Amino acid sequence: MAPFYWERHPNGPFATLIEIATTYLDPENYNPEALERLARQEGDQEMRVFKSELREAVKDPSQLPGDELSRSVQYEDGSPEAFLHRLWRDLYGDETP
Amino acid sequence: MVEPPQGQVLDDPERRREESAESRQRVEGDWDERPFKVDRAELARFDLKRAGLPDMSVESAAKYIEEHRASRPWLAMTDRACPEARRIIAALDAAGGHAHIRHEGWVTEEANRSRVAYREDPAQLDPERRHAGIDGLRENDKGHRSGDVTTRITDPDAFATAFIRGVEHPRVREALDRPTGSSKWPGEVAIPISDLLDPDDCRLCTGWRLEPVDGNIDTARQNRSDWVTARAAGRKPDVPEPRAAPVSTFRGGEIVFAFAPNDSEKRYQVVTMFPRPAHQQSDVPLENQLKE
Repeated sequence: MAPFYWERHPNGPFATLIEIATTYLDPENYNPEALERLARQEGDQEMRVFKSELREAVKDPSQLPGDELSRSVQYEDGSPEAFLHRLWRDLYGDETP
Repeated sequence: MVEPPQGQVLDDPERRREESAESRQRVEGDWDERPFKVDRAELARFDLKRAGLPDMSVESAAKYIEEHRASRPWLAMTDRACPEARRIIAALDAAGGHAHIRHEGWVTEEANRSRVAYREDPAQLDPERRHAGIDGLRENDKGHRSGDVTTRITDPDAFATAFIRGVEHPRVREALDRPTGSSKWPGEVAIPISDLLDPDDCRLCTGWRLEPVDGNIDTARQNRSDWVTARAAGRKPDVPEPRAAPVSTFRGGEIVFAFAPNDSEKRYQVVTMFPRPAHQQSDVPLENQLKE
C-alpha cells in the first residue's frame, strides 16, 4: 500500500494541502521559506487548490481525514487547528481565510 | 555508576548515556550488527552524475575525506566503508546533501535518541549550540527540527548501496529528471527497504521514536518544543521531559528520498534519504475518517 495519504487517496479531501505541506515542512526537509515563495505564485493552479483547501481546513478542521495531516507534517503546534492557523498566517498574512 | 559487560566502570556521564542507548537499542530494537554483503562492482559502476553529484574517483574521494575529516567529522564513518562506498559518500558530502550526516553510522544511538527527544542536531558540532537546539546546517541559528522518529542505516556500505539503487528507481528518477522552475518541488518518494536491500538488511537500520503523551503525539511534539525552548532559555521547563524509545523493527519499512533544487545545476537533487519504520496505516476507511 502506498505510504502517503495523497498517493492512497489522490482525489481524497485535502490531498493537495497535505502533500504540499509535507513536501516543504517535513522536519527532515524543512523549507518554510520556499513554501512562502511558492504561495506567492497565485497563477499556479496547484497552489490555488492548496490555498482553497487550506482555507477550508482552517474554517473546519474536523473535516480533515483522521490524523493524516499530523502524521505527514509532524507539526509542533499541538493541534491541527493551531498548525493550520499559523500556516495561513505565515503564507497569507492578514488575509481573511 | 553503571558496570558495562567489559567490567569497565563508566563514570563519564556522556559515555554512560551512549552505553545506555546502545544497550536499549540492542534489547528493544531488531538491530543486527552483522556486516553488509556489499557488491563493490555495483558501487564502482555507479555514475555519480546520475544523482547530480560531482564526479570523483576512488582516489580523489580518499583525498577529499582526508582534507575535510577534521572539519566534517561525520566523514570518519567512511573508515568502515569499502573504497567504492567511500566515493559515493564523499560525493554526497561535497554536494551538500545531509543524508549521510544525520542518517548514517556516524550518528550514535544516543545522538539519535537526543535528536528525537530534545531536537539536538547531530550535524551541530558545537556542544552548547547543539544543547540549545540550534541546527548545524541551516543558516542564521535556526532551530533544529525533528519528526516523531529519527533513524539511521548503521552500515556505510549498505547506506551507499541503498542510495545508488534508490537513485535508479523510476519514481526517484522522475523527480531527479524534472527541470527546476517556479512550480512545486517533487514530493517525497518512499521505496520499500526490501526493494533496495535484502529483506533482512532492514535489521541494519535503527531508530528512536518520540513517545506520545497521554496517547497523543501532537501533545508530545508540542511538549518537546516547549521543553527545548525553556531549556535553551535557561528556564525550568513546565512540561515533562520528552521521552523516546527504540523503534522495534524496520521490517516492512521504507527508505524515503526527499528533494530540493540544486540551483547551480538547475536540477533537483536528493537532499536527504532516511529509513522509516512501516507506516502505521489507519484501519479505518477514508470515508469513515471523515466526519459527517
